[in-house]
Amino acid sequence: MLEQLNQIKSETLERLKNAETESNLEEIYASTFGKNGTLTQIMRGMAKLTKEERAEFGKTANVVKQELEGSFAECTLRIREKEQQRRFEEEAVDVTEPGKRSVPMGHIHPLTKVYREIRDALVGMGFTTFDGPEVEYDDYNFTMLNLPLDHPARDMQDTFYINDKVLLRTHTSPCEIRALKTLKPPFRLAIPGRVFRVDEADATHSPVFMQLEGLVIDRNVNFSDMMGTISTFVKAVFGDDVKTRFRPSYFPFTEPSAEVDMSCTICGGKGCRVCKGTGWIEIMGCGVTNPHEIANCGYDPNEWNAFAFGVGVDRVASLKYGITDIRLQYENDARFLKQF
Amino acid sequence: MKLPLKWLKEYVDFNVSIEEFVARLAGRGFEVAEVIDEMPNVKNIVVCTVLEMQQHPNAEKLTVCRVDTGADAPVQIVTNSKRVYVGAQVPVALDGAVLADGFEIKPTKLRGVESFGMFCGGKEMGVTEADYDGAGLDEVLVFNEKHPNGQRVQEAFDMDSVIFDIELTPNHTDCMSIIGMCREVAAALGQKFNEPVIRQVAGEGCINDYASVTVKNPELCPRYCARVVTDLNIEPSPKWMQRKLKSVGLRPINNIVDITNYVLVEYGHPMHSFDLACVENGSIIVRNAVEGEKVTTLDSKERTMSESMLLIADPSKGVGIAGVMGGENSEITANTKATLFESAVFMSANIRHTAKALHHVTDSAARFIKGVEPVNAMLALNRAIELVEELKAGKVIGGTIDVCNTDINERVIKVSCSRVNSIINLELSPEEMVNMLDTINISAKAEGDELTVTIPHFRTDIQSDYQATWDIAEEIARIYGYDKLKRTLMVGDTFSGSIGSEFKFEDDVKDTLAALGGFEVYNYNFISAAELDVLGFADSDERKKAVRILNPLGEDQSLMRTSLMAGMMKVLSLNNSRKTGFGRFFEVGNIHIDAPELPKQHKRIAIALFGAEESFFTMKGFVEQFLEGMNLDGSITFAVSDYDYFQPGQRALVLSGGERIGEIGTVHPRVLKHFELPAGAYYAELDFDKLFKLKKDRITYRAIPRYPIVKRDLAVVVEEKVTAQTVADIIASAEVAPIVEDILLFDAYRGKGVPEGSKSLAFSFSLRAEDHTLTDEEITAAFNKIIATLDENGAKLR
Repeated sequence: MLEQLNQIKSETLERLKNAETESNLEEIYASTFGKNGTLTQIMRGMAKLTKEERAEFGKTANVVKQELEGSFAECTLRIREKEQQRRFEEEAVDVTEPGKRSVPMGHIHPLTKVYREIRDALVGMGFTTFDGPEVEYDDYNFTMLNLPLDHPARDMQDTFYINDKVLLRTHTSPCEIRALKTLKPPFRLAIPGRVFRVDEADATHSPVFMQLEGLVIDRNVNFSDMMGTISTFVKAVFGDDVKTRFRPSYFPFTEPSAEVDMSCTICGGKGCRVCKGTGWIEIMGCGVTNPHEIANCGYDPNEWNAFAFGVGVDRVASLKYGITDIRLQYENDARFLKQF
Repeated sequence: MKLPLKWLKEYVDFNVSIEEFVARLAGRGFEVAEVIDEMPNVKNIVVCTVLEMQQHPNAEKLTVCRVDTGADAPVQIVTNSKRVYVGAQVPVALDGAVLADGFEIKPTKLRGVESFGMFCGGKEMGVTEADYDGAGLDEVLVFNEKHPNGQRVQEAFDMDSVIFDIELTPNHTDCMSIIGMCREVAAALGQKFNEPVIRQVAGEGCINDYASVTVKNPELCPRYCARVVTDLNIEPSPKWMQRKLKSVGLRPINNIVDITNYVLVEYGHPMHSFDLACVENGSIIVRNAVEGEKVTTLDSKERTMSESMLLIADPSKGVGIAGVMGGENSEITANTKATLFESAVFMSANIRHTAKALHHVTDSAARFIKGVEPVNAMLALNRAIELVEELKAGKVIGGTIDVCNTDINERVIKVSCSRVNSIINLELSPEEMVNMLDTINISAKAEGDELTVTIPHFRTDIQSDYQATWDIAEEIARIYGYDKLKRTLMVGDTFSGSIGSEFKFEDDVKDTLAALGGFEVYNYNFISAAELDVLGFADSDERKKAVRILNPLGEDQSLMRTSLMAGMMKVLSLNNSRKTGFGRFFEVGNIHIDAPELPKQHKRIAIALFGAEESFFTMKGFVEQFLEGMNLDGSITFAVSDYDYFQPGQRALVLSGGERIGEIGTVHPRVLKHFELPAGAYYAELDFDKLFKLKKDRITYRAIPRYPIVKRDLAVVVEEKVTAQTVADIIASAEVAPIVEDILLFDAYRGKGVPEGSKSLAFSFSLRAEDHTLTDEEITAAFNKIIATLDENGAKLR
């Protein structure tokens, strides 16, 4: 019987060695370990042996059985791996073929992107958003901002009128009046919105464009704080390498006033076509809020200090993305929009 | 403002590079927009001497010259000029030269003979008779004096300087003059301003024997100064004056007119000169016009005046429109023997109205609109008279008429130094401030913390009221240098900062729409009447009430949009015609509805889809997914609508709890046609404000179901007119809700097996109990109940 056992062992091992497929394995299993399998049969034959022989044979048979089971497991693993390998080969694809897309991706307009960047930089500095109407009272847009009727500076901004008293706001500054009339200082506001000027659309003008106004009113803020705030958020939007420069200017609603230039992002300040060779690009106006505006809203200009600035979002977008014609932003050609 | 460097140097001595000059001025708030060469464009035109002249072999009218250009070898030039002679010195444009009009000179062959350049006349070089004697001829210019050969013509004409074009902010009216600009330049460069002293000309006789001035409306004419000059000798003004006028872009006319123009440039005050013989009794009356009164101005146009306009008149007629233009009837002519020089102050606002009403904003009017001041009016008049004498243009009559109804004393203000320091975050002493102000001719005295500042007459921008402190702060900051001011961050109260819930919601709206494949667009707020019309809003629809712009850019942009639809249709149309291959767009923007006081403003969300793969249901799916993504309170339903801009049968209202929050539909062919679109456009507009109100205040987590879901299908046959929503509502009314988690219509079938005029609707049900696994009995019971309810309502099981 031992001989028989050894034969079963060597035959099975041989068969396992040659096994190629899962069905080969199943066959081997059935013919060895199955109900009528050779190993099962021979173990069943042990009943005929004497007690001593049985013990002796049983020990050997168990070793053989374990050995065969181990080999079987090994063989299974080998075959499955091979099987998987084959499947992989079968399923291999050309990875350079194009991917399959579901919904085409949408895009956020560059104006929105830039507006969010500026706004978020300001929110980081404690500013809160504020909103006002696009169609405004002349009073809020001009008079209360220290621009009474017939003020020569009204000619700086060509205005769309609805009637004597109502117009399309020419800047976001009327929201300063609305804020000062409704909110209690101190506060820091970021006021985005569309503004309107009588300008035929060309590469650098648009009758509709977007501004973002900043207004801070507090007991102890000053011109230096304004300069620091502006240079910080310009860096947040354009990067740490960007320099800002403040030049004296004039706005009826601020005193002192300044024009802000940033170092040209195209040439890095060396001078190019975009900055007209100066290395600087004008990006916004700002200043200490005119005391008349503060007083017009019922506050003492010697107690409350305020400063304001207004950024052209379209202009910042143009600079940031190198857009050479402002009309592209309102034309809405998908090939333009999908770049952002 | 044109500032010729030569003119500037008469009053300020300095020596810095142009770059430095531009930077220093920028630091003071003066932007040099352009540095213009005195001879713009001209390059490589030099002086040469004609050495030889020979008849051209093939052309009778041409001459072949050899000229000395200062180079080693003579240069051959072919010319048709008869003015050139051997030994003459003429300007020659050599190879690569550029003429005043930008034309570039290249060597060429003229009738077979090579010419290496071209002789130039004044016109080619942009030089006029005013600049150089003989330059006005339409001929080659021959130099009147000896020049080295090869010398650049810029040097030869003494026109090698530059003219700065300076952009002035409207507050700096004092700098709209050479004198004012020189004052600021001197301060910016740290140099002394050699202000010219005007010599008083006493004259002979008495002005009162020649003229009188009556001002009827002193409010509109606070000061009127006049002097008289007789025995006029009308002739061209001298070269130096003509050259200077030309350098700032003015055309010389005659000595008297040129004097007034010259003074306007130099002192910034507009003047006028009348032919005194044409002013009845020499009697000037400044009065309001009579309604409908007519005056013919210097440009030979008859202008109809209104009562609000100020007229310069004599006892019987108008002789000029105050501040705008003189009358033709009193114009200075070659025969004028005596003149009255007017130097007056007219109110800016009034001149602005007059000039605008007459559509005639002259240089003079523009200057009055910007604002002039009374002290300068007298200075200008004195300067003009000084020039009259200098030019020997006539006999100056003694005495000045000065009708002054305004305070011409210097204004004195008091300013707190510490307050000035606090505005600009400096710690300057009062003495330092006094010294700084002195550099721009503002005199001040310090006493403790208080500065007593005397405002010079030309600084009309500095206010007398409490704003003065801020004005002085600006002057101090400007002198100190903005670039030297500290940049600090705010201290004091802390602020949390916030995007704000409504702006955050807008961000979410846009991001969700983009996630669904939408391209965000920005349209103008303007639409045309035709566009409003084609949308066909019902009379009762408030969207018919568009706000009209009084002064639109054009009729096609004259209304404020009451719906975003027209703009979105244009976006589809543009992308269709350009075949960009994309057809999903959205916009978030405001509409305006006419109302008393301010129009009503509403924010809207527009979605437009276009293309073969789109349908009413892709549009609906887009909107459904969008609304789902926005996490709103309550459920959204759709109901049939009748808006006329959509195709009947494919238009719906979007409802939340019965309230209309938007609309969707297939765009009507009439609208498609107007916007030049083929079929296949779908549009939705949602009310942003209403959606924002529906925004869930907070999201609360709900436990994930622990028991399995059971799916069952059921199909019913209903009449065609019964909507899917109606059937869904019937099913919902079966009161089996606790275990019916979801009902979804997955098929609508018409055809074989379903009676004509009916349809089969197949629903898929998801059933689940929260606390146990559903049994077959429970499911059957629920379904029986649903079937029974459907049956009762006329929907038969298929």
